[in-house]
Amino acid sequence: MRKQINQRQKAKILAAVVTVVLAAVTVCGILFTEAAMETDFLSRNQAPSAVHIFGTDWMGRDMLFRTLAGLSLSIRIGLLTAAISGAAALLIGIGAAVLGRKADASISWCIDLVMGIPHILLVMLISIACGRGFTGVVAGVALTHWPSLARVIRGEVLQLRQAPYILVAEKLGVSKMRISAVHMFPHLLPQFLTGTILLFPHAILHEASVTFLGFGLSSEQPAIGVILSESMQYLTTGKWWLALFPGLSLVLVVLLFAMLGERVRKLLDPASVHE
Amino acid sequence: MGQRRRVISLLCMAALVVSLLLGCGGESAERSGGSGDGDSVVIALDPGSEPEAGFDPAYGWGAGEHVHEPLIQSTLTVTNTDLTIGYDLATGYSVSEDGLTWQVTIRNDVKFTDGEPLTAEDVAFTYNTVKETSSVNDFTMLDHAEAADDTTVIFHMTRPFSIWPYTMAEVGILPEHAYDSATYGTEPVGSGRYILKQWDKGQQVILEANPDYYGEAPKMKQVTILFMEEDAAFLAAQSGQVDLAYTSATYSEEEVEGYTLAAYESVDNRGLNLPAISETTDSEGRAVGNDFTSDVLVRRAINIGVDRQEMIDHVLNGYGSPAYSVCDQLPWYNEASEVTYDPEGAAALLDEAGWVLGEDGVREKDGAQAKMNLLYSNGDSVRQALAADFADQMEELGIICTIEGVGWDTAYDRALSEPLLWGWGAHTPMELYNIYHTIEGNTVDGKDLAQYSPYANETVDTYMDQALAESDLEEAYTLWQQAQWDGTTGVTQEGDIPWVWLVNIDHLYWVRDGLTVAEQKIHPHGHGWSIVNNVDQWEWEE
Repeated sequence: MRKQINQRQKAKILAAVVTVVLAAVTVCGILFTEAAMETDFLSRNQAPSAVHIFGTDWMGRDMLFRTLAGLSLSIRIGLLTAAISGAAALLIGIGAAVLGRKADASISWCIDLVMGIPHILLVMLISIACGRGFTGVVAGVALTHWPSLARVIRGEVLQLRQAPYILVAEKLGVSKMRISAVHMFPHLLPQFLTGTILLFPHAILHEASVTFLGFGLSSEQPAIGVILSESMQYLTTGKWWLALFPGLSLVLVVLLFAMLGERVRKLLDPASVHE
Repeated sequence: MGQRRRVISLLCMAALVVSLLLGCGGESAERSGGSGDGDSVVIALDPGSEPEAGFDPAYGWGAGEHVHEPLIQSTLTVTNTDLTIGYDLATGYSVSEDGLTWQVTIRNDVKFTDGEPLTAEDVAFTYNTVKETSSVNDFTMLDHAEAADDTTVIFHMTRPFSIWPYTMAEVGILPEHAYDSATYGTEPVGSGRYILKQWDKGQQVILEANPDYYGEAPKMKQVTILFMEEDAAFLAAQSGQVDLAYTSATYSEEEVEGYTLAAYESVDNRGLNLPAISETTDSEGRAVGNDFTSDVLVRRAINIGVDRQEMIDHVLNGYGSPAYSVCDQLPWYNEASEVTYDPEGAAALLDEAGWVLGEDGVREKDGAQAKMNLLYSNGDSVRQALAADFADQMEELGIICTIEGVGWDTAYDRALSEPLLWGWGAHTPMELYNIYHTIEGNTVDGKDLAQYSPYANETVDTYMDQALAESDLEEAYTLWQQAQWDGTTGVTQEGDIPWVWLVNIDHLYWVRDGLTVAEQKIHPHGHGWSIVNNVDQWEWEE
């Protein structure tokens, strides 16, 4: 008899594999950052070969190293911005639901405001205001990605507040801070984790696009946005490898993060936890 | 019934096919329209060449950073192919002993395209207008212009300015009777070789030969200029839509059937500034000066430690020439600027300066590493590659050189304390002044400094002041040359070398076979309208 692997185990294995792959890419990228910036003008514009699997660009830089370093940079920026955004969303979401009517109204208004402005525009503006570069991009992406998660958490907390065990705690005189920290937070954790992980793909794509448009990272850095915008100049002369591999890799990483988020949701969500 | 429906649908299909075929046919007919009919030419220039404020010389047309002949308007003088001064409207000029009054006589047979004659009044009006409005050119040396009679104009200067004839070559003459600054940019009336026939903003400009032109009649009767990005210009050449398209070294290895790659020499140079004073801050709190490059021995080592030919081969695919000054090959160039690549000599200079090679291949002095950060403008792939190649070469000398892309919004300020990769090259010696002469009031620690990179040398200043005050242009050239190197001091290798010049970039174009482009004067900075300067003399082979 064949041993059956149930959904839950499958999800666990997949999540583990995805995490390992992403971690490996991140570490490789950090190790290869030097190599990614190394120029070799004698081997310029080479198509993919055994020596340079992803080919080389107009300064003879190895595109494999550049892609890895770029993805790594993107993932690290993604981690940082998702963490900041997630934390902000959690605090703001709980705050809106717990701090009373007026606070709720003003926070909801802020959420609507930020969500009303096209993301990419806001990211660009904040990035320019913060002087572009690493700080600019992180600030831009982090400050624009919290609203949707904050709204979800606010809704969740509003529901929770009517739950019998919270009402009982209130009657027993437990302070608001303590209720939110001890009684509400554990209940919010699955939503929060899933939401935060699903912020990654957004953050990474926005980092890449704002850099692609020239409002993000500086052009000497091996970032995916920089690589893609550089490649545009060379597409008409048939240097397809400059855009294809880095672009595909970016899509792959984004998909992996989306998958990871999905699996984590499956594992934590009470509705699917026993599938 | 069914039969009928089938017939109708068949008919519809047929109509569709026919219209599709016709559509295609129309398109291919248009495509071949680009080729020369004998007296017209279609040219692709970069989108940055489109004059934002229109074709008004008072708002930068023909002048400024990217100088070229205004075509639609006449100028008093012109620059010849060897960059000496020739005449367009002028028939002669003279300058007073003190250099404060210029008298220029002009032709009396010139008419604007609206039929009105061009007189000295128009010339005076033009100069008084540009003095007031020009944002791209400095006219502080001009006090005012006046017409003495119909063909004589007198310029009263605020200070001697011997290279005034070069300024006169840049300013297109406006019609006083038909000038309205609000509309002139889009509906210019001039007396030049061409008339603006059509301008579709963001797309194209169509120029038509002026039938009443006083000079030799233009051979090209119609000139169409398309504004395109580099890749679009390349594709336009590939599909035969244009007769001449600008391009760059990136595309130089490609081949386009029916086109030849033409390379024109330029003084469109790339070089870097080496701040020549130690690090400090100015009154605005900006960092000024650089401890590493403030040592003249270090600057000299860098200047001879750079293999310029290697850069040209690596980055420009061979389409360039080594640059030793901001004005290579121009009449005011001093040949003493030239140096030969000498890595051993550079190493010896660095040793002498106290920067000794450490075990890791990096030079050290008093525990500090030999280190510099070279800035370049974001998005310029040629400058980035030049910077990267420069950094590689510095590494061989034992200097750590990092590179950083910056935007022009911050680049000027940061260049005061860090080297920046610049592009210069103009048809006037004033550029030497702009780069090396100190500016009054640009004071740091009680000392006046040059504008773009901290540097000051009284002797160099004096030569340039004398050159501007000199009444004879030839004599002035000599003084400009002495400002660069007079045998004891200057801005060359044996002097202070506050800027290191790397390469002059050849301007590249795809030229349709059969089109003869007239001899070009050495192109200035900016890969734009310069090529069109003498489009009236271009020819198609029979």
